[in-house]
Amino acid sequence: MTTLEQAEAAAPRVAEATPGRRPLLAGNWWRYLVSLAAMAFALFPILYVVSAAFNPVDSLSGSGLIPDTVTLDNFRAILSGAPGEAGSSEAALDIPYKNWYVNMIFVSGATAVLSVFFGALAAYAFARYRFRGRRMGMMTLLLIQMFPTFLAVVAIYLIVLRVGRVFPAIGLDTLSGLILVYLGGVLGVNTWLMKGFMDSIPDSLDESARVDGATPSQVFWAIILPLATPVLAVIGLLSYIGTINEFIIASVLLDTTDKFTMSVGLYGFINDKYAQQWGTFCAGVVLAAIPVVVLFFFLQRYIAEGLTRGAVKG
Amino acid sequence: MTSVPIAADTAVPNPSLLARAIGFFSGPVGLAIKLVLLAVLNALAFWAVGVLLADQKWIAALAVGGATLLIDLVYLVPDKRLIPLKFLVPGMVFLVAFVVIPIVANANIAFTNWSTGHNLSKDEAIVAIQEVSLVAPADGASYVMTPAEQRGELVLLLVNEATGKPYVGTEDGLEPLSPANVTIANGAVTAAEGYELVQGEELAGIDQQLSTLLVPTGESSFVRAEGLSLAVELQPTLVYVAANDTFRNIETGVVYRDNGKGSYESVTGTTLEPGWRTHVGFENFVTVLTDPLVRDPFVRVFVWTFAYAFLSVFIQFVIGLFLAIVLNKPDLKLKRIQRAFLVLPFAIPAFLSVLVWAGLLNDEFGVINQTLGTNIPWLFDPTWAKVSCILVNVWIGFPYWFLVCTAALQAVPEELTEAARVDCAGPLQVFRRVTLRSCSSSRPRS
Repeated sequence: MTTLEQAEAAAPRVAEATPGRRPLLAGNWWRYLVSLAAMAFALFPILYVVSAAFNPVDSLSGSGLIPDTVTLDNFRAILSGAPGEAGSSEAALDIPYKNWYVNMIFVSGATAVLSVFFGALAAYAFARYRFRGRRMGMMTLLLIQMFPTFLAVVAIYLIVLRVGRVFPAIGLDTLSGLILVYLGGVLGVNTWLMKGFMDSIPDSLDESARVDGATPSQVFWAIILPLATPVLAVIGLLSYIGTINEFIIASVLLDTTDKFTMSVGLYGFINDKYAQQWGTFCAGVVLAAIPVVVLFFFLQRYIAEGLTRGAVKG
Repeated sequence: MTSVPIAADTAVPNPSLLARAIGFFSGPVGLAIKLVLLAVLNALAFWAVGVLLADQKWIAALAVGGATLLIDLVYLVPDKRLIPLKFLVPGMVFLVAFVVIPIVANANIAFTNWSTGHNLSKDEAIVAIQEVSLVAPADGASYVMTPAEQRGELVLLLVNEATGKPYVGTEDGLEPLSPANVTIANGAVTAAEGYELVQGEELAGIDQQLSTLLVPTGESSFVRAEGLSLAVELQPTLVYVAANDTFRNIETGVVYRDNGKGSYESVTGTTLEPGWRTHVGFENFVTVLTDPLVRDPFVRVFVWTFAYAFLSVFIQFVIGLFLAIVLNKPDLKLKRIQRAFLVLPFAIPAFLSVLVWAGLLNDEFGVINQTLGTNIPWLFDPTWAKVSCILVNVWIGFPYWFLVCTAALQAVPEELTEAARVDCAGPLQVFRRVTLRSCSSSRPRS
């Protein structure tokens, strides 16, 4: 392993260093202090949003860090589809939060599942087969995906517009069209990560299966895919979060409020009336964040493993 | 479609189960699944090609048909060299359709003059120029119109607004009607012998037909419906000469030629509106680089984008690495909880974080200004806005580096740092010469 060799090479030089200096920071107290400061920085916006979501004061100006009383009114308001100060005419404004929620889950879920699947197929080919243009192909993938998709947003819009004139089902303002555009990113860095992980699965496993008469696709389904679960989980989660976060393409392609994903919807909502409906907005944020946060911590142990194992063995 | 076994167990699959699965899917069942999937794909493609052909989109139809044929070949030809392609094709289809083609199209647009006034194709522009050039002739008449049908043909029953005389307009010309045969009320024909008036809901259906029915009244002038109850005499001022692709002004005789930049231009330099989109070479790039109105903002944004990316990632990395080192001590208490809290910003979808931070940084009501008792225009002053961008981005991104660095640090064998310490290396030296070197090798290699 490289680490060992390097460290062995480094060790003698360390020995030449000035001996016997006492560490300035003995003990662990300063570590706790640094950690506390960092946690304060990391947590205060989150605590603030959560408290604002339960705060009966809806406006941005009146919400302190600790609410006087706790209420679920904000959650009721955002879920009822008509947030706003009760009685005001704008309260009837059309905020289909539940639609955005379903759209978010649907678009991100479909994109994540499909990109993991298609990406794993490609990674399998790169990991297990030697063919002409293999290295070139992998480099090309990286190079192509270097181009930020949102810079081509004009072209994407025009393409979807024209496709939609002939096939309205995947045209502008459809979720299926949006998912298809997102699937353009299935081959790229993710393929590299998965390929790296698959490289670490011993060849002897597929060989024994092939001796038993397995076809390439059976090796893929029965051996590689189950064993690559950690990296699949990571890629799926990352692509799920990435899709949830995507704003530019969604806001360009989607047009009617009902079809919005969460990012487009909440952005429009809060842009309209930042200061007045802060509490309602925060309730929406909390609800939207919960599934992702839960999923994240559920899959966290895979993340470190998948990222490092896939990355080290390139 | 077959479901993806994401939830499959991570342990090595049970061999007997594996053997059974392989046995089940080899031979007829596997082949059947493949054929069904291919059949569905081909059916979709067949339908799509049909729709495209009906729409006269030849190139698109050819592309869809060709791509489907190639996919069929990849999956049906039993050649060992095609096996990797079987696994690459699904992803490549999306890559080409939604990444490669947009990039190419984008690059292509960069070389055109596509803009307001140059939106149309050349053919559309020629039609539009003729349309724009229509004017009422000096002695042109206007008519109150009633659409009617005569033996199934659409005709216009017209009453001259100046003289009050009734006419019938057809594709052949304008014929006077005998006043005895028509009833005129409020200046419009309400009944006519031998004609059936188009009324009520039927009117909406003939909109398209009406606008294309031209009733010739002279060499180039004609009467045409304007809306559903009015018709006017019109005459083009420009005539298109297809033979040498020019426009000629009928009155002045001025000739407008294709100037190669998407417009018809006269000798004196006047151009006809609208133009069409065409390739203009590097003109757009020259504009970006030389026109100060475009160049200055472009350069500013360009430089800031890179500075922003660099600063964000650099600060994220430094903070993440620092925290990872600080917390990478075996005897630290509650390490798991501390780590979980520090990772939390990464777990929250970034678009939510950004929107929330925008509220926190609100200059009037935001909690940050209120807590600090300051009045900093976080989002409105150009400099402060940049600071805010980096601040928020660091908040979102440092946990990622914290995670990655923690994983890398934990991969450094403890014996190494231990050995260095025994050899009397200070903490900084241990970090620089052992820890950092060991983890700097954990980057992707191809």
